[in-house]
Amino acid sequence: MTIKKKTMVQMYNTMYRIRQFEKKLQEFFAAGKIPGFVHLYLGEEAVAAGTCAALNKEDYITSTHRGHGHLIAKGGDLKLMMAEIYGKSTGYCKGKGGSMHIADVDLGILGANGIVGGGGPIAAGAGMAIQYRGEDRVAVCFFGDGASNQGTTQEALNLASAWNLPVVFVNENNGYGISCPISKSMAITDIADRAAGYDMPGVIVDGNDVVAVYEAITAAVERARKGEGPSLVECKTYRWRGHFEGDACTYRSDDELDEWVKKDPIPRFAKKLLDDGILTQKELDKLNADIDDELAAAITFAEESPLPEPADMFDDVYA
Amino acid sequence: MKTVGIIANPISGKDIRRLVAHGSVFDNQEKVRIVRRLLVGLASVGIERVIFMPDYYAIVQRAHKGIHSPIEIASAPMCAENTQEDSTKAARLMVDAGVGCIFVLGGDGTSRAVAKGNAVVPILPLSTGTNNVFPYMIEATVAGLAGGVLTSGQISVEEGCFRSPVLEVLDDDNNLVDIALVDAAVHTDTFVGSKAIWSMKQITQIVLTRCRPDSIGLSAIGGQLHTLTPQEHRGLHLILGPGGKRVLSPIAPGLIEPVDIALEDHLTLGQSIRVDQSPCVIALDGEREVEVKRGAHVHIRFSDRGPWVVDVSKVMALAQQAGIFVQPR
Repeated sequence: MTIKKKTMVQMYNTMYRIRQFEKKLQEFFAAGKIPGFVHLYLGEEAVAAGTCAALNKEDYITSTHRGHGHLIAKGGDLKLMMAEIYGKSTGYCKGKGGSMHIADVDLGILGANGIVGGGGPIAAGAGMAIQYRGEDRVAVCFFGDGASNQGTTQEALNLASAWNLPVVFVNENNGYGISCPISKSMAITDIADRAAGYDMPGVIVDGNDVVAVYEAITAAVERARKGEGPSLVECKTYRWRGHFEGDACTYRSDDELDEWVKKDPIPRFAKKLLDDGILTQKELDKLNADIDDELAAAITFAEESPLPEPADMFDDVYA
Repeated sequence: MKTVGIIANPISGKDIRRLVAHGSVFDNQEKVRIVRRLLVGLASVGIERVIFMPDYYAIVQRAHKGIHSPIEIASAPMCAENTQEDSTKAARLMVDAGVGCIFVLGGDGTSRAVAKGNAVVPILPLSTGTNNVFPYMIEATVAGLAGGVLTSGQISVEEGCFRSPVLEVLDDDNNLVDIALVDAAVHTDTFVGSKAIWSMKQITQIVLTRCRPDSIGLSAIGGQLHTLTPQEHRGLHLILGPGGKRVLSPIAPGLIEPVDIALEDHLTLGQSIRVDQSPCVIALDGEREVEVKRGAHVHIRFSDRGPWVVDVSKVMALAQQAGIFVQPR
């Protein structure tokens, strides 16, 4: 598969944006600046970046409680995201949703989701809408290994297959559902194995290799667009932080984390871009600096924005 | 103690060719069932111990747990890293432990990884991969019988095995970079990515150690023109492009493409091909593996330093002639 240089640079850009955004959130949460929980995506950047690089703006994604990376990769506005996570009225949900409820339908982002396994039925529904309307779109469902054990996910896989919907199920297998290793919650180890039960292709890729993710998702998206139905792509990866910020991670070893940090997707891809002459060191430094500046502006925007007024509490309440 | 090795790759049969072709999802529980049948075959000919490669699915332990086998199992002394190097390392450790045969469950890529760690002990490769040219598509029970009688010394290695040829990828300083058991291809990509190859438009040259008309994968391309068995140690070099023959080939499961062959040439042992194209990626046994940077070159040498491979049909035929499985009533 030939990958354009522009796409290669875009995928690096996305990964670095996610990394810096999450590092700042880690810092701000520890400093007590952020209300509510945050679930960081550090270490998993290649999955979101490789997947969304294979999508068009019109395509849909459903996200998870660990959704910042997905949203950024699909084009989410850093200012509006940061303001929302700060609980400010200028945020995506006017400061009343927080980290786990950010959505931007114009960008095809059908929402992060606080319910584990909540995205599958939404993605299947989006796929059904696409099929019903005859649109040239696909829906991507990001879900974790914990979500793969939820009935909602299995129901979504079943209906997507039974109705031949244009859905790509992107599993982020980071080895743990909250504090529970998959060895304690599943009889099998490869979520891709479950695809055969739904008569759909199931593949495994290195989730820390952005090019491998991009290739697999591109192929899955192409199938979906051609009317060949859903696919399941399992991306083996790891979350560097705990389930949530503040999680002491007593259920896993430092050695395990160290091994995965060695597989950091960002420096390995930066080296590739430099070695292949796609970017010079100077261009890479400028790209990084521009993202850092954009992030700094987003932080300033969030910090200077007002909190929602008490009188606004019941606005936008639908039920 | 009569001991064999088992290397079962949990990741085989799940690459991108399920999306870009029509490869089957080969789940790990099926590999467990294959190992169970293998253990039954081995036990029936007196094999006492199995050393296995540890893997994240615990294929051999699950297989052993599910049956009442007299065979003792022990893990090779290593930690699984969940990379192809696990298979290479396990093979080395099994050689050190003195196993009589190494059973390999996977595709061509898994056998290749094992061959990198062992050119001494015979291997018996069983197909659980995608493009399966090197491994056998045979019943594991029979494989257990064949590998077992070989390990027990009832049939000798010289009688029942053959030495596979191999393609050695060398850098400009003649250092060995990697090997291929079946095919090496020059690919226009500059990255390894999801590894598998499926578009012939990006392949410019192919070197084969074997080919036959009923093969699958890149060796099927040569197989439409020639038959080369792994025993005869004769290779084939194809330069793709217009000006020569066009052959219709099954290059992956469910994927058939016309391929233009501009030039073809047979290779003899020791002969090398210099790859001048760079940057490129060298695909080995159907997977992109070696990135060649701009300005660098590699050589692909046809060699006889491959692994010893159990010829299952021959071993079973010799066993028949010797009456090994004929028992007094």
